[in-house]
This record gives sequence, C-alpha cells and structure tokens, in this order.
Amino acid sequence: MKAEYLNPFIEATNRVFQTMLNLEPEKKELKMEEDLITSNDANVVLGVTGDLQGTVIFGFPEEMTLKMVKEMSGMEMAEINSFVSSALGEVANIISGNAMTILHDENLSCDIVPPRIFIGEYKSFAVEEEQPLVLTLSTAMGEFDLNLFLKEKE
Amino acid sequence: MWKDRYKIGVERIDEQHRELFQRVEEFLKATNDPQRTWEDKIEKVKETMNFMGEYVHYHFDDEEKLQEELGYPNIEDHKKAHEKFKKGIEEYIEKLENENYSEELVQEFGGKIMTWLIMHVGDVDQKIGDYVTKEREDC
Repeated sequence: MKAEYLNPFIEATNRVFQTMLNLEPEKKELKMEEDLITSNDANVVLGVTGDLQGTVIFGFPEEMTLKMVKEMSGMEMAEINSFVSSALGEVANIISGNAMTILHDENLSCDIVPPRIFIGEYKSFAVEEEQPLVLTLSTAMGEFDLNLFLKEKE
Repeated sequence: MWKDRYKIGVERIDEQHRELFQRVEEFLKATNDPQRTWEDKIEKVKETMNFMGEYVHYHFDDEEKLQEELGYPNIEDHKKAHEKFKKGIEEYIEKLENENYSEELVQEFGGKIMTWLIMHVGDVDQKIGDYVTKEREDC
C-alpha cells in the first residue's frame, strides 16, 4: 500500500489529540508487517470503504487509555470498562472521520464502518499479498500504534 | 471536565458550555460510582437525558442566533454539526428507553457524549471564537 495514505490519518490524529487531550503525537517508528496483528491492550478496528478499501486499527496500551480518559473526564478509572472503551472507540472514530474529510479534499471518496473495540490481542490474516503499515506515535501519555491497510478499489 | 482552553470568548455561550460539561461530568461520576445502586444510577441517567434533550436545542439555537448576528461565514456547516449532535442524542434517548437503560448502553452513551461534547466545543466552536477575536481586532 502507498505510504502517503497514512498522512491524512496522521494529520487527523494530531488535530484530535491536540483538541481532546492537549497532546502532540510525534512519529517514532514506521514498520511494514506481514499481517494485521496488534498486541496492544485496547484496539479500535475501523473499516474503510469507497475509493480506498481496508482496515485501520488504533492500538493503545491500557495505561495510556486510562490516562486519556482521565484527561477527558477528570475521573481516575481503574480498568477499561464499557465507558472507557466507548470513549476510546469514539476518539478513533472522530479521527478517522476527519481523515475521510481530508481524503475527500484529495478527491478520494471513502466512508468509515463504525468502530469495534477489542480488548487484548487482535489478529486478522485476511490481508492478501500487500503488507500493512504500522506507525508508532509517541506522546506524553505513552506510545500507541496506528495500523493501516488500505488499497485502491479495483 | 471543563477546561479554560474550551472558552470561545463569548460569555453567554461559554456559560452554556460550562453547564453542559457540568451535567455530563455529573452523569459520568454517577454512572461510574461503585457506591451507587443501579436503580439510583438510572434516575441520574433519566434526569440527564431529559435535560440534554431540551438544553442542547436551547443552546444550539442560541449559538446559531449568535452566528447570524455576527455574520459568521460557516453557519451552514456548523448547523449540520448541530443537527448531527442532536440526532445522536435523540437516538440514544430512544435506544435507552427501548433497552430499559441497560448498563452497557448507558456506559456506551457516557463515552460518546463526553467525546462529542469535547470535540464540538474544543474544535468546531473554537472557530466562532477565532472569528469573534478577529472581528474585534479589525474594529
């Protein structure tokens, strides 16, 4: 897949993190993986349909997830409960929605399939021949991964 | 929940935003309080849904009125964002009633309303603030 498809997601992540969490994520590492696997504690999986098709996964460690929710709600949460995972899913949903708007301005018309949240490891092997990209972003609350597998509609 | 960086610099709107944040915060604290019984939490959920259903209309109407007075250029996009927000709340009011205020759905709503509110006030509404500041400077 083209690495340039990452850019709208990075731009949208920066903007949403700045607004919601007062954080400025920095790019730490970009890797190409064999399969879509994330070993993070909380993973938000979103489908993309339209001119680009595929999957986006935001993977967060538990500690960072709880810090994010504390910054937003003012509440100290002990674990990832339904409230925490709903908030995390919605943050990822808003980021992806903003990324779709940026893609639209670049004449790519895509939609987001609502997020599903997986606590614990998430694996998907249905990735054909192309390889997904994994970008690790670093923030003052911790590091998280943006897994992206998008291909152009045939 | 409220943070001063969410201010837009128009007192009456900031006051309404603070009220919305306060209500959502109370809702989140109540629904995540292990000391409270679920029946007690449901009362708070119902109270919040009644308040939200009405206050969001009042606040958005007032904000749109302000935008008209100011001659704010992006009013149509902003109205669309308000419609989406109102629809989101209305859908949850209905769903919660239909599903008898299940804990799972209440928590899901909590996560969403918190995120929607911060994103709307912290991002979309800031553009009104930027416009007001620019107009004041130009005067």
